[in-house]
Amino acid sequence: MTTPDASDEGVRPLEAGGTQHAQGLASAGLRVLIVDDHSIFRSGLRAELGADISVLGEAATVDAAIIAVIELQPRVVLLDVHLPGGRGGGGAEVIREAAPRAQHTLFLALSVSDAADDVVSVIRAGARGYITKSASGAEVSEAARRVADGDAVFSPRLAGFVLDAFGAVAGETAETTEELDRLSARETEVMRLIARGYSYKEVGSTLFIAAKTVETHVSAVLRKLQLSSRHELTAWALERKLL
Amino acid sequence: MIRPRLRLVGGVCAGFADHTGVPLATVRLATVLLSLCGGFGALLYGWLWLTVPSVDSRAATEPLPKSSLARSRATSSSSAREARVPPTLTRPVDGPRTGAVDEAGLGSAPSDATAYPRLDPDSARTAPVTEILLGLALLAAGGALVASRLGADIPLAVVVPAIVVLAGTALAWRQFADIRSGVAQQSSALLVRILGALVLVAVGILLFFVTGTNPNAWTVILAAASVLLGVAVVTAPWLLRLWSDLADERAARARESERADIAAHLHDSVLQTLALIQQKAGPHSEAARLARAQERELREWLFTGTRGGGGEPAADLATALRRIAGEIEEDFAVHFEVVTVGAGVSVRSAAAEPNANTADAPESLVAAAREAMLNAARHAGGAVSVYLETGARGIELSVTDRGPGFRLDQIPEDRLGVRESILGRMRRAGGTADVRPGPGGSGTEILLSLPAPAPFSGGPATPAAASSTATDEHHTETSVQ
Repeated sequence: MTTPDASDEGVRPLEAGGTQHAQGLASAGLRVLIVDDHSIFRSGLRAELGADISVLGEAATVDAAIIAVIELQPRVVLLDVHLPGGRGGGGAEVIREAAPRAQHTLFLALSVSDAADDVVSVIRAGARGYITKSASGAEVSEAARRVADGDAVFSPRLAGFVLDAFGAVAGETAETTEELDRLSARETEVMRLIARGYSYKEVGSTLFIAAKTVETHVSAVLRKLQLSSRHELTAWALERKLL
Repeated sequence: MIRPRLRLVGGVCAGFADHTGVPLATVRLATVLLSLCGGFGALLYGWLWLTVPSVDSRAATEPLPKSSLARSRATSSSSAREARVPPTLTRPVDGPRTGAVDEAGLGSAPSDATAYPRLDPDSARTAPVTEILLGLALLAAGGALVASRLGADIPLAVVVPAIVVLAGTALAWRQFADIRSGVAQQSSALLVRILGALVLVAVGILLFFVTGTNPNAWTVILAAASVLLGVAVVTAPWLLRLWSDLADERAARARESERADIAAHLHDSVLQTLALIQQKAGPHSEAARLARAQERELREWLFTGTRGGGGEPAADLATALRRIAGEIEEDFAVHFEVVTVGAGVSVRSAAAEPNANTADAPESLVAAAREAMLNAARHAGGAVSVYLETGARGIELSVTDRGPGFRLDQIPEDRLGVRESILGRMRRAGGTADVRPGPGGSGTEILLSLPAPAPFSGGPATPAAASSTATDEHHTETSVQ
């Protein structure tokens, strides 16, 4: 169960073979790797994922996950935040180690916890989204698709955290788009609606903007979350020895 | 039996009185009387002092002997900075030159004694007993010397060494107490002082033998053994306490790591399983509801360290909302996603006056929110978002469901649920409530807003009240923001 191998792929006729995964077989559906240390969760998730999503393999530890990501070059990695092995860095360590050698791979973090430091650690390591494990299979599938399309996936909880961390509620807004430490007024509105449980489409229709524009805003917020040196974020990161 | 922290000398009498129910004054009187009967009381007192544990022995920061306790309190208070380094501590122990130490010991006493009642009226315990005893011993020594010079028949050969030994012991114990309480910063100076005190003890013991007549080999051996024994006796209590401190600390660490282990295990296994059950069972099923309730309880215990006892009222608005969500989830097939943003806001009880300085939420807001959530659970079910934002604009709370939706003008006049318990409540609290179709035209969104208390003018003349449609609402929201 640790390192996925040829037998794992052999089960899936859609897959073309071990070596040319990096060349993006879009027709074969979304290629996903599940990384979680609980086999029961992995198998449960595997059964629940949508039909257009093909699971390349599974990994249970940090080391196995790094190897699997580099070997299989999946499009999306469904990554548990808390993982054993490696140097104890969990999901964030997997991203840091594997991302440079898997250029086309995107990471979607899954966690049972909503703790702010968990969120910050994986997002700052480079995850493109964060959802909780209690999300249904359909929700996870949708999130994986969205990540594969290059969008960021924000749960309401994460949006709330972003509003808090950037002081948006206290009325701080960024004047220029270059500013990393504050959200723009529009981004704040988008985050506020996502925190209320609105889907991107609903946010768009409420604010009279296209859904694609909403995605642009969310991606911008994600970038700020990853790059900002805002002291709340940095303090968390420093406290958890993430920097 | 436990020695309390409030103590005169060692807290033995107070502990005994507390344990047996005998009045404290009686116990103290009995101790003094027993001490007069051949020193039996004093011996008993000393024995109990050593063996009976002090209260709260886990808190290593609280030192045992009261004199150093007084000092650690003093350092925490800026008003008593002069008591920080009592003269007895700064004065090195200079052998049996008793006069200098005498002055120092007595001199420090008043400053310590007067400093405390001033800054802490109820701590009558801070009499500097060690200094007083030391001073008394040295006074006795001086008196004995004078008396013998005047011709009185006093066995100086016994009295002087005894006093030296006692003084050395007292000084040594004081230093140990300082080490233990962590007051002393320069450990090398402290070490010198302790060694000095121990030398004093040794010299005192040796004096017994030196002053004795016709020394022989046995006397020397006996003297050496006595010195070793004396030093051992003096250091023994300190070593014992050090040992028990270490054991306490070890036990605490073991408890902590055991707890962490359990938490990690629960996190890994049980929480994952509960998440999986919810995932498999679908949001409306009984199994998912139970699993969610369990997960929330477990999570609360794991991550906040407290069991969410439903008894006491939540002081914090966000906590109150989460608790309400939990209660409703137990009764309905609904899942609340509670997101709170902004600074914590406490819940003010209905009786209390609104305070402009501290942002707090009236209980009626909580009640209205509860009604809105209950409404969503009853009529919509499924996933319901609860969003709370507290900030410069005041308090904003929205409850969004994905149910069939309803319009306010379609509700019969006699249905009081929404009209009275949500709209009326908010109006009376000085805020507004707005019921509108949910995002994308499906479901319902109930928006409760309470303006910040500063510009509070009585009427519900808030920007949000001016409009009733969702689009206008957002317009005003953005412009205000």
